[in-house]
Amino acid sequence: MEKALELSRYCVPFTPFKRRLEESLICLVSTAGVRARTDPPFNLEGDNSFKRIDSTLEAAQLAVDDSHYDHGCIDQDVNCVFPVDRLRSLAREGRVAGVTPEHFSMGFSQALRELRDTTVPQLARAVSAARPDAVLLTGG
Amino acid sequence: MVTVQRAIEMLGIPTVLITVEPEESAQARPPRALYPRGFIAGHSLGRPKDEALQKWILMDTLELLLADPQPGEVVTRDYS
Repeated sequence: MEKALELSRYCVPFTPFKRRLEESLICLVSTAGVRARTDPPFNLEGDNSFKRIDSTLEAAQLAVDDSHYDHGCIDQDVNCVFPVDRLRSLAREGRVAGVTPEHFSMGFSQALRELRDTTVPQLARAVSAARPDAVLLTGG
Repeated sequence: MVTVQRAIEMLGIPTVLITVEPEESAQARPPRALYPRGFIAGHSLGRPKDEALQKWILMDTLELLLADPQPGEVVTRDYS
């Protein structure tokens, strides 16, 4: 059997956004290594898992596992890279409808093939199952 | 990061990225992306506890969903 075609890097997937922000549920997805403080940490040496983050948690209840840049600011305020409180604030003001029950984060990994073939497809399906109207992504 | 974004977009969900590595992100061709000029890793949404700035960047990013499509491009904005 022939191998399935892969999307070229030069081809950009694009799903039109046909709603208003005020009626949209937003999901946060990050590669910054964000997790609930009560969850076990990401492995800093390399971690191909992703974690689900209860979207009712406040930034102060979250932690970031990473050893690649200065964390002084994130340690004061996780909203710098994962704006959970700010998104909830926009929802209270009616500028977005709300957030999905869960947000998601991956950690640091250099096992790129496993990421591409396993972690990323699993994460994308988990995000889809949360039924967001739009997804906001952040790196570090 | 853009790999994740493209995978989600391919499932039929509109996505938008805040990046602090615009050149790297542009090479990976994101469906929609915003670069707050001069911001560095650990500060995608700016300074800690600066709620006004963080919400401003957050809204600008979400509003890219409503803007004319520029797939593959990274939009740069100034926040200083």
